[in-house]
Amino acid sequence: MNGLKILEQAFRLEKTERAPWVPFVGVHGGQLIGVDAETYLKSSKNIVDGISRAVELYKPDGIPVAFDLQIEAEILGCKIVWSKENPPAVVSHPLSEGVLLSSLRIPGKTDGRIPVVLEAAAELRKKYPELGLYGLITGPFTLALHLLGTEIFMKMFEDPDYVHEVMVFCSLVGKKHSEMLLDAGCDIIAVVDPMTSQIDPLSFETFVTPYVSSIFDAVRERGKYSSFFVCGHAQQNIEVMCDCRPDNISIDENIPLDFVKEIALSKKISFGGNLKLTVVLLMGDADDVKRDALACLDLGGDTGFILAPGCDLPMQTPVENIQAVSEIVFDRYLQDYTRNLDKKESKLDIMNMRDYGQSDKVIVDIITLDSESCAPCQYMVEAVKRVAPHFEGVVEWREHPIKKMEAVSFMSSLMVKNIPTICIDGKIAFVSQIPPQSQLIEAIQKRINEKLKLKIKSKRSEILILGESEQECRDITKRVKRAIAELGKSTGVSVITDKEQMTAFGVKKGPAVIMVNYKLKSEVVVPSLEVVKEWIKEVG
Amino acid sequence: MNEILTQLSDCIEFGKINMASPYPPQMKGQEGADELTAKALAEGINPQDVLTLGLMPGMERIGLKFRENKVFVPQVLMSAKAMSTAMLHLKPHFLSGAAKQKGTFIIGTVLGDLHDIGKNLVSMMVEGSGYKVIDLGTDVGSDKFIAALKDHPGAVVGLSALLTTTMVNMQAITKEIKDAMPGTLITIGGAPVNEDFCNKIGADSYSADPQGVVEFLNRKLAS
Repeated sequence: MNGLKILEQAFRLEKTERAPWVPFVGVHGGQLIGVDAETYLKSSKNIVDGISRAVELYKPDGIPVAFDLQIEAEILGCKIVWSKENPPAVVSHPLSEGVLLSSLRIPGKTDGRIPVVLEAAAELRKKYPELGLYGLITGPFTLALHLLGTEIFMKMFEDPDYVHEVMVFCSLVGKKHSEMLLDAGCDIIAVVDPMTSQIDPLSFETFVTPYVSSIFDAVRERGKYSSFFVCGHAQQNIEVMCDCRPDNISIDENIPLDFVKEIALSKKISFGGNLKLTVVLLMGDADDVKRDALACLDLGGDTGFILAPGCDLPMQTPVENIQAVSEIVFDRYLQDYTRNLDKKESKLDIMNMRDYGQSDKVIVDIITLDSESCAPCQYMVEAVKRVAPHFEGVVEWREHPIKKMEAVSFMSSLMVKNIPTICIDGKIAFVSQIPPQSQLIEAIQKRINEKLKLKIKSKRSEILILGESEQECRDITKRVKRAIAELGKSTGVSVITDKEQMTAFGVKKGPAVIMVNYKLKSEVVVPSLEVVKEWIKEVG
Repeated sequence: MNEILTQLSDCIEFGKINMASPYPPQMKGQEGADELTAKALAEGINPQDVLTLGLMPGMERIGLKFRENKVFVPQVLMSAKAMSTAMLHLKPHFLSGAAKQKGTFIIGTVLGDLHDIGKNLVSMMVEGSGYKVIDLGTDVGSDKFIAALKDHPGAVVGLSALLTTTMVNMQAITKEIKDAMPGTLITIGGAPVNEDFCNKIGADSYSADPQGVVEFLNRKLAS
């Protein structure tokens, strides 16, 4: 099936035979053909060559024509500074330097570097009719930030009307730019608005939603698809992003993929991401990449998911790493193999935690990076330290800094994903947020109460009467039974007259009485060796 | 505690700059950080107390809210603006020695990197927590950091990088600073950076948010 078709299926939330794959090749294309970022982004021929090379190497279903969020800003008067290995950076903000908004004109086909991208798009369209071509535009909020600088954040409060005016202008720029890209042959418009990660959902709805929504609507009217790219810590805004009605949202590794999946699918929007750009794609090896890609594929599923890196690929991302992604996308056998390999490796490390927390004490585990160097971890440890004395000896706490390997396997055994986390008797209780003292005490008390209930339920005892003959035991047995009856208890009584058994109990001469307390330690499950050892230590 | 200082810390926390400022709506028409700082000093409150009991608690509260995702960059910037307005009244007292800052912090975005939002936020929060801040701007090489350290011995250095390609420059800069000025503490931050990277390059601390930098400085300089 051709790339564009499978992408469209994903956009429409139809089941796909495999997840479509879209490597965000930007200046990395320059690396592929041996030119620096500036030479690359200023020439349509270079872009076509770079993308063609990427198509050969990475077998994508879709690819951006150019990943450059400074095109519009440059035309509108922002100064930009080029560097060899990165897209250019905006260094001046005309609207904060006295330029009037009314003097700015919406860029057209022949302005700045727009023709470079349009030519490249047209050429690539001809060359690869079945490839999904993404035309990227700078999201209106990010463009507004380029024009106004960080002042925009304060202006949102001090002069909201002005910010709205700027946003209207920026969305018109975006609409015009996306029309031109669609005319040149792009199939999908990606609105890239990373700066929205810096604001809260309410500000987003006020200053972003109306404007980006108008761009998505315009794309839809032309029968094409749209995607909303946001890099960074934008977890708070995923829901409001979906409410802008793009066809897809794409996020980076800062946001958990399953979180995005849940929200996006519930809003009937496809989603994509979130291969780890730096630690894995840039700095890891092909095996790390395969594992990460597989984790994304398994989480993403086969309905509405598009596999992509979190953001623009760094220039020097090793080619073999990106190829490793494409290998695993197309090879189901390799997927199974990697999955099993993973299982085998991790099996050794994962401890059996089913019986964890069966001892009499309540165990509080704090999984940290290292409480000395990670402030939140330190606070979390201190919170537990402060609370533990309230429970005089009943509560035992331990820190597990995951800089040590044992702690890492302990962490995965308890299925802890975030740091710092507090677990009470092996159950995750507090994640990331340091609990107020009262809440922590309450949670521990709850566990103590649970245990107490279990204990009461399982209390049972027996009295053994030992003697050489029934006769010898008769009087004492009578007395014991009477005592039990008078107390209204249900304690069992057994008489043992076997000499060998008596010796085994350490009784030399009868009659003797032995009290036995039975304690239920586990039920249905087979406790692990470690757990049994803990029990044995208890009885001495 | 003094009523004015309590009001002042609220103004910092909620970003109320002055009486004319429309933000936040619930404090409309009330005196802001500007008026209240002037009033506190006029009433003879010690400038040191204005800083440590009025401004800093407000800054700390907004820093914690930022860490907990309860507020975002715009709200913090409003707090920082209220803070810097108040600081204008206090600066003469620092210069005259009537009030002391807790230490000096030198900050810059590393060579090759031109991003400044993160760096500015950190610099405002640190200043708002009672430190003197030397902001070297963006695209800063080790020579500038070393020169600034010579002017301000014992200062802590903060390095920011927003790009995966410039984060590698942190390594060289950290090494060059440590070679030239042994014992200098270096804290790093920025989107692509993490704790592992910090350990790898031999920096002293990584913070995911501005409040983390303040806490690191408090541990190292103010105790």
